[in-house]
Amino acid sequence: MVVNSSPQVFLFLSQILGKKIIDLTGRRWGRVSDLVVTTGDLYPSVTGVLFIPTGRKTPSRFPWHRITEVGDRLVVHPLAPEDQAEATIVEGELLLKDSLLDKQIVDTHGAKILRVNDLHLLNVNHHLRLVHVDVGLRGLMRRLGLQRAMDKFFQWFLDYHLSDHLIPWRFVQPLSSSDFLRLKITQNRLAQLHPADLADIIEELDVNKRSEVFQSLDVETAAEALEETDPKIQVRLIENLNPARASDIIEEMSPSEAADLLGDLPKEKAEGILKEMEKEMAEDVKELLIHPEEKAGGLMTSSFPTLPPQATVKESLELLRQQAENLDLIYYLYVADEEGHLLGVTSLRGLLAANPQASLSELMDSRVISVGLEEEKEEIATRFAKYAFKAIPVVDEANRIKGVITFKNLLEVVAPQLGK
Amino acid sequence: MPENRSETNTSMGAEKVSRKGFWKTLGIFFALIGPGIITSNVDNDAGGITTYSLAGSEFGLTLLWTLIPITLALIIIQEMCARMGVVSGKGLSDLIRERFGAKATFYLMIALFFTNLGNTISEFAGVAASLEIFGVSKYLSVPVSAFFVWWLVVKGSYKSVEKAFLVACLFYISYIISGFLVKPDWVQIKSEFLTPTLHFDPRFLTMAVGVVGTTIAPWMQFYLQSSVVDKGLKAEDYQYARMDVIFGSIIVNVVAFFIIMLCAVTIFQSGIKIETAKDAALALAPLAGKYCTWLFAFGLLNASLFAASILPLSTAYTICEAFGWESSVNRKFGEAPQFYGLYSLMIFLGMGIILFPDIPLISIMFYSQVINGALLPFILIFMLILVNDRRIMGNYVNGWILNLISFLTIIVLIFLSGAMVYTSLR
Repeated sequence: MVVNSSPQVFLFLSQILGKKIIDLTGRRWGRVSDLVVTTGDLYPSVTGVLFIPTGRKTPSRFPWHRITEVGDRLVVHPLAPEDQAEATIVEGELLLKDSLLDKQIVDTHGAKILRVNDLHLLNVNHHLRLVHVDVGLRGLMRRLGLQRAMDKFFQWFLDYHLSDHLIPWRFVQPLSSSDFLRLKITQNRLAQLHPADLADIIEELDVNKRSEVFQSLDVETAAEALEETDPKIQVRLIENLNPARASDIIEEMSPSEAADLLGDLPKEKAEGILKEMEKEMAEDVKELLIHPEEKAGGLMTSSFPTLPPQATVKESLELLRQQAENLDLIYYLYVADEEGHLLGVTSLRGLLAANPQASLSELMDSRVISVGLEEEKEEIATRFAKYAFKAIPVVDEANRIKGVITFKNLLEVVAPQLGK
Repeated sequence: MPENRSETNTSMGAEKVSRKGFWKTLGIFFALIGPGIITSNVDNDAGGITTYSLAGSEFGLTLLWTLIPITLALIIIQEMCARMGVVSGKGLSDLIRERFGAKATFYLMIALFFTNLGNTISEFAGVAASLEIFGVSKYLSVPVSAFFVWWLVVKGSYKSVEKAFLVACLFYISYIISGFLVKPDWVQIKSEFLTPTLHFDPRFLTMAVGVVGTTIAPWMQFYLQSSVVDKGLKAEDYQYARMDVIFGSIIVNVVAFFIIMLCAVTIFQSGIKIETAKDAALALAPLAGKYCTWLFAFGLLNASLFAASILPLSTAYTICEAFGWESSVNRKFGEAPQFYGLYSLMIFLGMGIILFPDIPLISIMFYSQVINGALLPFILIFMLILVNDRRIMGNYVNGWILNLISFLTIIVLIFLSGAMVYTSLR
């Protein structure tokens, strides 16, 4: 191991706050009230110190590099007037106490909202860096000045060594509102979360933070998270957006999810969003909106593959490859004539196994099980159970294919009835 | 809130009413009510009913008028909580933690835990007492009811729990019915109600303080704010939250009115001495008939059960929120261990202590009231600082008139709480 000339020391924010500041000549300057870090690095470094000058109430700021020693007191080089500044921070900076200590954060690794009890800093070569946030019981006890008593108690009573519960900074997303504006999307770590976890976190936040967090997400992440969010909260989140941004997000959702959401919105708002949307998507969604949510027409999605019977297997696979990204369903390929009459179905497995030159009419299974637009969800569930489909097509009275209900669509309406 | 602001608010509200129609407004109101009414009604718990019965049977109708200022104070304080909940979207303990740091919060939570535990014990005592009137042993009634309230929350969801609670609120009507059963002299009651009388007799003053103290308790502010937040009310819905709070505060005092009046016109007039709510119920039988006793006992049972489920729930909520632990009725046990752990612990302790033979019940209730009184000033001061913080409340901070009124209310309450603590410890 390389011996480092200056010591590496771990420090906690709670141990620095309130410390006296004196300069090398012995003059007292005041007490530390907060630390400023510059974010951007993996482990942000402390660049400024806010302190309450002796005899005053409002804090001033001086740069961290003026500090020569961190011990029982902070020893600084004498502070010239130009070293001192107003206690304001600029873009990319973060106040540790003000925006993190005692506040809520998201642990993006564990997908949880936690409250910060302390901050763990590393002092190397006079550079102080934020490395962990402490969310554990021991951190809380440290704040109360009871850490030692607590350690002893655990050792003596339970023969258990209580350890700190630290979360590396790279997994931490601060939640205080001013920081959302300042840190912007580039540093948003929430996108690392699985959409379903992110949705859970959004649901758990308070109303104000919920919309701040949601607005800080990029369009794709927002759409993915929105699909997993409780319908009531979906409506609230979208209501707070302007129609342009709302339509951007909704376009990224699957048509059936989008239709469910727009159906729950107030009419004027929904129409405003539909106007902003791409024409094709808007029409699909409008079509779905006509049908009640609980019936086949409301459950189905309009984003599924259909091909004419004369198409070859090779052409079909090519089409699937091109459109795979945007389709809600790729396991089944439906065969329909020009008017949309449903003629047959073939699976992706069937296509892969077949001769590339064969036409779909040879390959397809013409005994298609379908449901009508007005079919109730219970009946649809029964069909799914009986035939073990991944999806079921929906047809109108003239047997024209209108959409497809995927198993996922069905699960969403049936799941609430499955019991807690 | 500044005066002009509140005016625009109401005029906007009125416009909405006329546009949407009365029924629609009423519909919205019923969808959004709950927190205020539930909180206020829990306030008439076993301790409250005992205090009101004692007030009525010892001092007759002379304390009745205090319910008017109490109602106003309750509205002012609860309105601030509801407003903070709606605007910040955060619970009170959350705000206290973020504003005042870990130390203050920690000790506040410890104190809150013990006062609420004391209150929970007295709720189970209420359950035991009321069912003993019907001839059920406390060794049966207390464990069964403890299990019932525990099950209700652990297995239920917020919606079902809230519905059960709202139904429980309806049963308070049994006190109003009993009040009419005794056919009181309304003219005399009206004059006593509207003319403040004050005796400088220490017993009278202690009782007056007791009535105030039992009506405005620390836990309520936390519970109300959290449930307003839980309902997800938006700032635009604030007018409904305020209606909810006002409505609830009035109802709670109507019930208190009937209990005091009932005991005053029966027990006080025949000069019987009572010490507990059970005594009061039993004393009613020869004076007002056995149905009156039954209704009174049933009301006590309902109130005690109701509060026995809300108090531990509110405590667990508040503490978990302050320390950032998972807390929601909608989670499963394993997902929120601290929350359900605290909740179960309080019910278990509350039940266990009551079942202990020869428990000094009166002194437990007594000291829990004392901690209640000692804690209230701190919470009220914290609230006043928070509700005036623009970083939290934005434009919804208190205006100077409201600040003055709340400040005076709080001073009076602090004085009364101090007096109560002082007289109890002397």
